[in-house]
Amino acid sequence: METYRKAIGRAAAIVMAATWMVGAVYPAKAEEDMWPSLRSEVFGDRPIKESDGVVILDAPSRAEDAAVVPLTVRVPPAVKGPLKSMWLIIDQNPAPVALTVTFGPAAGNGGGERRFTTRVRIDTYSYVHAVVETDDGTLHMTKAFVKASGGCAAPAPKDADQASADLGKTVVKSFDPALQTAALREAQIMIKHPNTNGLQMDPDTRAYVPARFIREVAVRRGSELVFKAETSFSISANPNFRFTYENASENTLEVTSIDTDETKFVGHSTQVSITQ
Amino acid sequence: MCTLDQLKDRHSPCECETSEITAVLGRRPSRRAILTSALAFSAAPLIARMPAMAGSTLAVSDIAPGVFVHQGRYELQSPENRGDMANASFVIGNDSVAVIDTLGSAKVGRELRAAIKAVTDKPIRYIINTHMHPDHVFGNAAFKEDNPEFVGHHKLRRGLEARAQSYMASSKDMLGEDAFDGSEIILPTKGVDDTLTIDLGGRSLVCEAQKTAHTDNDLIVTDSTTGTAFFGDLLFSGHIPTLDGSLRGWLSLIEQLEGRTVARVVPGHGPHAMHMPEGILPEKQYWSVVAADVRRLIKEGNSLTEATKVAGQSERSNWKLFEQYHVRNVIAAFAELEWE
Repeated sequence: METYRKAIGRAAAIVMAATWMVGAVYPAKAEEDMWPSLRSEVFGDRPIKESDGVVILDAPSRAEDAAVVPLTVRVPPAVKGPLKSMWLIIDQNPAPVALTVTFGPAAGNGGGERRFTTRVRIDTYSYVHAVVETDDGTLHMTKAFVKASGGCAAPAPKDADQASADLGKTVVKSFDPALQTAALREAQIMIKHPNTNGLQMDPDTRAYVPARFIREVAVRRGSELVFKAETSFSISANPNFRFTYENASENTLEVTSIDTDETKFVGHSTQVSITQ
Repeated sequence: MCTLDQLKDRHSPCECETSEITAVLGRRPSRRAILTSALAFSAAPLIARMPAMAGSTLAVSDIAPGVFVHQGRYELQSPENRGDMANASFVIGNDSVAVIDTLGSAKVGRELRAAIKAVTDKPIRYIINTHMHPDHVFGNAAFKEDNPEFVGHHKLRRGLEARAQSYMASSKDMLGEDAFDGSEIILPTKGVDDTLTIDLGGRSLVCEAQKTAHTDNDLIVTDSTTGTAFFGDLLFSGHIPTLDGSLRGWLSLIEQLEGRTVARVVPGHGPHAMHMPEGILPEKQYWSVVAADVRRLIKEGNSLTEATKVAGQSERSNWKLFEQYHVRNVIAAFAELEWE
């Protein structure tokens, strides 16, 4: 919860300063290095190993749609043992910590490449930092620069009426691996939610619509946790996660998410055989 | 249209098709005179463009009696084009004039107004916006002095209000202070719930609100006298279509539109006038290919990133500005179709 509160506090401060609503603030702002302060805010004085090959971040150098930027964190097969946690931090966003993931026993111990993909909003030219904590408590970090603009300040959904229909509908797919004996399999979660950031004006009341977004996602296989994520409104509308987890005899997932109105949504996975 | 600054440095020079009829209007010329000059200009397209570049009035062509169209460039917003990158039309009745879309800045809006005033002294009573995008609405400000009715889809107001700040900021940024000066969001004063008939005196315009397609506030306008339909950005030709609504909605609307009998149709981006159904077939093909590719990739378990690399690439050579808009279209298509 601490990260979430920090993110909100930061968002409020920046909104009051009204800088990010102007949109055209990037190059000067992007030159400002936010990382040292973010780093100490999130990780204190813990040492972080930089670009040591434990964590790889795939991000587009240019975001075609700043409101839907796919980011993939990969941990190569050479890294053994369970992972403890992961952070995705978009330095220049109003809520920089896009998500904090805590992995559980069903996330797997490796034996293949571990991946975690989500879609984020990126408000301006920004570094994205991916940090992974391995089982020994060491933090590993890598970063990528993404040219984007207006991801957060382009809040309006394409179809305003459709966006609020089926709120919380959760679709979970668990993909059968090509090899039945593979150590890891992949799953995808889609949650229908506008993930509003509080900066949209209600046309009737002319007041800002209060922020309402998914703040927590928990994924379980039976009684075992795959992961639990704290999320901010830096996650795109209709939050989407794709990730690897341990391939076992029973792979059905239960996904529980909670939004900032404390509404809870639940979904269960269907098993999908990929026919290529 | 696009207002994102990220596209700015990919800006490409004008590659507009030279239209078959390009007439630069002087003072109230007859239709015959316009056509004659059009023919002369078509043999010397450079001459035809010069007056517009000098900033006098915008080049407009009459495509049917009392129906005039200005063709915008196939470009992103820039200080050079001042937001002149969509088609704008006007229809003259016995009593009054209706303008259909006003281009992308108050500046080019004023030039459009001057071009109208050069053709007719009848009052401009209606400004109709086919949808919310900046390249179709920011010229509205130039017509405030006419005190017209601003007409749009009943969801246009909401669409514009939700995006007012980002449209203002990004358009100002893309166009530059100079070209953007005086531009503002003007909200519709008359919303169209289903259909609305506008009487211009001796001719009427029928406005029809559409379900979500290019955007969630698309309006089709048809001139009853000449059978001319103004499709706004439901029809792109040459310029790649852009998706800010629903791909499924757009494809099903295209099927309906194919069956329409109209004398001619004016696209939002493309030549002055086209025939149906031929005019809409390339766009139908583009969206059909994108939809089929994206659906297949989803079914095969591919990610969004993988889809952006391959979906719809076979359409690349068919469209201007493919590089600038196609991947965004695929992202929008994927985010919609993955919920099927």
